[in-house]
Amino acid sequence: MTDIPAEPKVAEVDPARTDNVVLTGLLALPALFLTVLSLVPLFLLLQLSFAHHDEGGLWTPSLELTQYAKLLNPLFLKVAAFSFTLAIGTAVVSVAIAFPAAYFISRMRRRAQVTWLVFLLSTLSLSEVLIVFSFQVLLSGSGAMVKALMALGLMSSAHSLYPSFGAVQACLIYVVLPYIILFLYPAVSQLDDDIPAAASTMGASPVWTFLTVTAPIVRGPLLSAGLLVVIWTVGTYLTPLVLGRPQNWTIGIQISNAAMTTGDLPLAAAQAVALVSLMVGLLGLTRWLSGSGSVEP
Amino acid sequence: MSLVSTWLRRGFLGLVALFISAPLIVVIGVSFNASRRMSFPPTHLSFKWYKAFFTDAEWMASLQTSLTISALASSLAVLIALPIAYAVWRYQSKAAQALAGAGSGLFLLPGIVTALMFSAFWGVVGHVGRVENVVLSHAVILLGVPIAMLSVGFQSIDRALIEAAQTMGASDSEAFRMVVRPAMAPYILCALVYVFVLSLNEYLIAYMVAGFSVQTLPIRIFASMRSGYQPTMCVGAVLFIVLGFAAFSFLAWVGDLPKLMGRHRPLET
Repeated sequence: MTDIPAEPKVAEVDPARTDNVVLTGLLALPALFLTVLSLVPLFLLLQLSFAHHDEGGLWTPSLELTQYAKLLNPLFLKVAAFSFTLAIGTAVVSVAIAFPAAYFISRMRRRAQVTWLVFLLSTLSLSEVLIVFSFQVLLSGSGAMVKALMALGLMSSAHSLYPSFGAVQACLIYVVLPYIILFLYPAVSQLDDDIPAAASTMGASPVWTFLTVTAPIVRGPLLSAGLLVVIWTVGTYLTPLVLGRPQNWTIGIQISNAAMTTGDLPLAAAQAVALVSLMVGLLGLTRWLSGSGSVEP
Repeated sequence: MSLVSTWLRRGFLGLVALFISAPLIVVIGVSFNASRRMSFPPTHLSFKWYKAFFTDAEWMASLQTSLTISALASSLAVLIALPIAYAVWRYQSKAAQALAGAGSGLFLLPGIVTALMFSAFWGVVGHVGRVENVVLSHAVILLGVPIAMLSVGFQSIDRALIEAAQTMGASDSEAFRMVVRPAMAPYILCALVYVFVLSLNEYLIAYMVAGFSVQTLPIRIFASMRSGYQPTMCVGAVLFIVLGFAAFSFLAWVGDLPKLMGRHRPLET
C-alpha cells in the first residue's frame, strides 16, 4: 500500500465499450440457455395447441382450432371453474393464516426467529408425494384426526375423511403455507411498529388495529402472495388425484391424462394454453380492481 | 402487549406449528414403526425399514439419481442466475433485466404447464427419457429462485464500501474480491440449498419428462404408495428432512438467516 493515490487507469479504451464487452461476456451464455430452454419450449407448446392430432400419440403441425373447440364443452368449463375456485380458496385461507404468523414471527427475539425459519425451511424437504401420503394416514378411518373428533364428540361413527373436497383443500393449504410465510416475512419484518402502537394508545384493540392499520400497509405483498398461491395450485395434480373424488379433479389431472394416457398432446397443449390465458386474465383483473379501488395519498 | 393478546398469539402460532409438523411426525413415525400396517402412533420402535432401504439396490439407485439431478440442477441454475443478477446490479443493464424477467417467467407458470411443455420439447428434440432432461428442465424452471435471492443479496451490498475500496486504490477485481464475494457467499449458498431442496422433491415435471425410465425418489415413492404401501418409502423422506434441517441450520450458523430471507431491519439479539 502506498500513500499516493493510485494513478487513474489509462483511459485509452472507452469505458462504455469495455462495459459492453464485459456485459456480452456475462450474458451470452444465460441468453443462449434461456432461448433454447425457455422460448423454444414455450413456442412449441403454442404451436402444439394448433396442431392436428393423429392416432397413436402422434401429431402433425397445422393451424387448426379443433383442440380449442373441444374445450368449449360444459365438462371442461366445469373442471376449469372448479380448479380456480379451489386455487382461490387455498389462496385466501393460506394468506389469512400466513400473514399473522409471519408478522408474529418477525416480532420475536432473534433466536426464536431463526428457529422458526429453520423449521419452516426444513419442512420444504417433504415432497408433495409424502405430504399426500401423511394426509391419507391422518385422515384414515383409524387415523389421529378421526380419533380426535370422536373423543371430542364431533363424530359419531369412525369413517375415513378422504376422499373429499375438504381433504384436498386442507392438503393444498398445507403445501403452500410454509412458502407463503417465508414470502411474506421480508415485507412484514419491514413494518413500522410505531403506527400500531399509536393506534392502540388511542384505544383501538390489538385485533382491530392489526386488521385496519397493519394489514392495509402490506396490501401489495398480501395480494402478490395470494396470486402466487393461485398460480401454484390452479394446476395441482397429485393432491386431488389421491385425496379427492373424481368430481374434485382439476385441469392439472385433465392435462396430464390427455398427454400421458390418451396420448393427445395437442389437446393437452390447448388445455394448458387455456389455463395460462385464464390465469393471465385473473391477474389483469386483480391488478385493475386493486388499482382502481385504491386511494393513493 | 396485554396478557390476553400474548396468549392468543402463542396459541395461534402453536396451532400453526402443530399443523405444519403433523405430516413430518407421521412420516418419521411410520419409518420407525415395527409393523407394516399404517398405524400411528408406532407400536414398536424398529430400524428394520432403514436396513431395508439401505440394502435395496433399487431404492439406493433412486436416491443416487435424485441427489445427482438436484446437485446438477441447483449448480446450473445458480451459475446462470449469477451473471444475470450481477449485470442488473453492477451495470443496470436493460438486457440483463429482460433476462431476469424471462428467467423468472417459467417459475410463475403452473407446474403442469411447464411439465407438459418440456415433455413435448424433449420429444421433438428426440432426446427422450434421459436424466439430463430432468436436470435441464429443473434448472430453467427453478431459475426464478436464485435470480430473486441473488438480487436481494447484491442489493444488500453497501456501494459506499466499494467506493471506499476504490478510493484506497483497489482495482475493480480487487474490490470484487474484498467486498462483493464475501457479501454474496451466504446468498449463493442459500440459493444452492433452496433449489436443491425444491428439485429433490419435485414429482410432476420429473415424471412427465422422463418418469418411465428415470426413477427419482419421489417417483418411486409414489409408485410404492399406489401399489400397496411399504414403510421403506418414508426412510428416504426422513433422510431428506434431516439433511434439509442440517443444511438450513448450517446456513443459520454461518450466516444471518433473517437477513438472508430478506429482512432489512436490523435485529438485536
